Amino acid sequence: MKRILGIVLAVLLTAGVAAAVIAGRDSKDTGTATTTVRGVIGSEKAEFFEDPDVVKALAAKGLTVRVETAGSWDMRDLPLDEYDFAFPSSAAPADELRHWTKIRGGPVRPFYSPLVVVAHTSAAEILARNGLATLGGDRHTTGTLKMDAYLRAAEKDTTWQQLKGVEGHQELSGTLFVTSTDPLSSNSGALYLAAASYVANGDTVVADPAGIRRTQGLLRKLVQVQGAQQSSSDGPFRDFTSGVGNPLVLVYEQQVASLLLAKTDPGELTVLYPDTTVSSDHTLVPVTEGGRELGEALRTDARLRELAVRHGFRPAGAAPEFTAATAPYADYLNQKLTGVRQAPVPTADVLNEMAERARG
Amino acid sequence: MRLRLIAVLLACAALGACTGGGDEEDRAVTGGTVRILASSELADMEPVLAAAREATGITVEATYSGTLDAVETVAEGKADGRYDAVWLASGGQLRLRPDVARKVVSQTPVMASPVAFGVSAEAAARLGWTDPEHTSWAQIQRAVADGKLTYGMTDPLRSNSGYSALIAVASALSHAQSALTDADVQRATPGLTEFFAGQSLTSGSSGWLADAYLHQGTAEALINYESVLLTLNRDRHTDFTVIRPSDGVVTADYPLAALTSAPPDVRDRVRALTRYLLGEDAQRLITERTLRRPVTASVDPAEPLPPGKRRELPYPGSRSVSDALLASYEHKLRRPARTVYVLDTSGSMKGDRLRDLKAALTELTGGGRRFRDREEVTLMPFGSAVKSTRTHTVRPGAPDAALEAIRADVDALAAEGDTAIFSSLEAAYGYLAEAADDTPYLTTIVLMTDGENTAGSSAEGFRGFYEALPRERRATPVFPIVFGDSDRSQLAGIAELTGGRLFDATEGPLDAAFEEIRGYQ
Repeated sequence: MKRILGIVLAVLLTAGVAAAVIAGRDSKDTGTATTTVRGVIGSEKAEFFEDPDVVKALAAKGLTVRVETAGSWDMRDLPLDEYDFAFPSSAAPADELRHWTKIRGGPVRPFYSPLVVVAHTSAAEILARNGLATLGGDRHTTGTLKMDAYLRAAEKDTTWQQLKGVEGHQELSGTLFVTSTDPLSSNSGALYLAAASYVANGDTVVADPAGIRRTQGLLRKLVQVQGAQQSSSDGPFRDFTSGVGNPLVLVYEQQVASLLLAKTDPGELTVLYPDTTVSSDHTLVPVTEGGRELGEALRTDARLRELAVRHGFRPAGAAPEFTAATAPYADYLNQKLTGVRQAPVPTADVLNEMAERARG
Repeated sequence: MRLRLIAVLLACAALGACTGGGDEEDRAVTGGTVRILASSELADMEPVLAAAREATGITVEATYSGTLDAVETVAEGKADGRYDAVWLASGGQLRLRPDVARKVVSQTPVMASPVAFGVSAEAAARLGWTDPEHTSWAQIQRAVADGKLTYGMTDPLRSNSGYSALIAVASALSHAQSALTDADVQRATPGLTEFFAGQSLTSGSSGWLADAYLHQGTAEALINYESVLLTLNRDRHTDFTVIRPSDGVVTADYPLAALTSAPPDVRDRVRALTRYLLGEDAQRLITERTLRRPVTASVDPAEPLPPGKRRELPYPGSRSVSDALLASYEHKLRRPARTVYVLDTSGSMKGDRLRDLKAALTELTGGGRRFRDREEVTLMPFGSAVKSTRTHTVRPGAPDAALEAIRADVDALAAEGDTAIFSSLEAAYGYLAEAADDTPYLTTIVLMTDGENTAGSSAEGFRGFYEALPRERRATPVFPIVFGDSDRSQLAGIAELTGGRLFDATEGPLDAAFEEIRGYQ
């Protein structure tokens, strides 16, 4: 009986889909039926687009969205004419993709998220004890990473074994470093270099060859110590939450917030906000009219903005929604970004040159 | 849109209940087949993939391969059009190849397992390793260097578990504080040479390594994924103490990625499959059935997986370091190979078959995967009996002399006579008994034949001969190649008896079979 019901269901669903496809075709010009738009996105946004509620909210706006993930800078190498939009994780890679746009209208920045460092609490406590971080929250679940002190430690190839209080933590050995993604492939890795170079360049954005030369030794250290890096930010975060890999990992605040908002036990987690960081303003580059419609919907639709918050993003503009939604997790999140300074991002050319020299 | 909603509502009404959510959307993309090129140990995912088919309608057609061979396949463009996705033990190898990185999208880690050291309970007790949480690569290396332990490990040129172990041991012995450099590799070389002298078993894949370990019974330890070792304990009653060395591990995180060459709707299927695999039900099934670690934070690892943290040792960041380490393993660090080729050159091999055989062997005398420095290669062509026995040793620093001599011998092969398979195998074992000396060779026999046995000893006669051999001679496996009109079941019997593995050259080219066997030599 169950089986027969299943078949009936399948037939009905197939009919429904076929009807939708036909309806879509018939009325595409009128703009009232669902249009399927394909896009390539930064991996941290995959769970957002695959959330059934997001799918439903987009359908209500007449959109069916299909996504694939790639590193924001790797999107340059993809055949974008197969897609309706690209959705890298910040403005610089988006600029490089703009020539694919076939329609009027520029890129859209519906939401943003600052870069943070997730740490095992025991590791964060050792950083604090050695003056590299300050901690808050009853259980030391949030804090600030002192970039200046951290970069000085990195410059000197400081190892965990050299820090006070490391006894009894056999997993804490080897050079102290933050894991990031490949700065040539991925936005978060490149923004890590942007923040570090700003501090190393005397709190000035690097804008010329002299600045690139001045900071390249340090940036090279930050990258080379990591060995092979992943090309997209979802991977390192998944590794971290499953207990694999380095105890310090650079991720978007959104990835952590999304985990907390889903009421998942985060395990032994401290969220460190670098005192100088960079926010990634996720930037949708429309290629076709359908892509532009999606960008508009994400920017303006109240339901979609609410769902973006559920996935940990801070909607553009004033964002009381974010503060309200994350109130229960203020032990982990620095909701108002108190004491966090935003470093400006170098131009795409400079960033690229810095990444090349750091990786090469 | 409205029409579809009505249909869904009807379906809900028919069932009397509706699970709601995005089911209708999933149904729209799913169903159909995804062809995946996968690391060989993923064969244990069958029950999870069956559940995935049940839940999503997507059928996975998997082709299994060594991880590094798979990377090569993708790099050369041979995966385009043949596969829709790759599912490898680790993305580390892909990351070393920017040309490959461009061929994949939606790369997402699905589960994790560190490469570990499994040691028999008896040996662990003897060595005093009572606390696996606090045993290091440095201690393991010392025990092996002192001759107290031998172990099996896969070929790091082909398989990710062997490659990961090579990185881990090199990092530990050089006291590298971050990603390996050429200087670290140099510093580790003396210790690595001692360590690899204890490797008594090699394999092109981690699955066969476990079979060979059980068959051969001479090694007391196995380097493999934590999941493979714990599964052996559970399913095949081994008693491994599983050590995740305290000075660091390399962990496989099994990223599933779509190939950009696949059509968009098929890539959507890959994403739908990934989404399913990351769900709580699938993650729970994965950790319970395969004893890998889940990557979805809300799912706990299965019971036998200990929680203690480990330092993660990074993959080398540059291809030159990686290539130098592998070349060093191949030509300097590992035990040398003693390889006997028992080659059917009976009358039936005349023409194309003999030409293919010559080409396949000649390919092993040049290029990146040639016969290794220090390797001893013996050619035993046979017809009605063994026709000749010619041995060449590849000298480090001057490999060309031996390689040229092998090429000349291969070129001189001529097809003539009947097919005396079993007598010739007996002759090969006889030759190895005479040649035995103190060098700790990894010894193997390759049997290539295109027909049935028509002369000399019978299968039964050979079985009696083999079983009467002393234990250390029986440890040499035969790798038969099915080719032309050879009798598959007869050759499978030889592989089973001697602890070897059957290779098939009736579907693919002969040179690919010879090349694949290199991983076992």
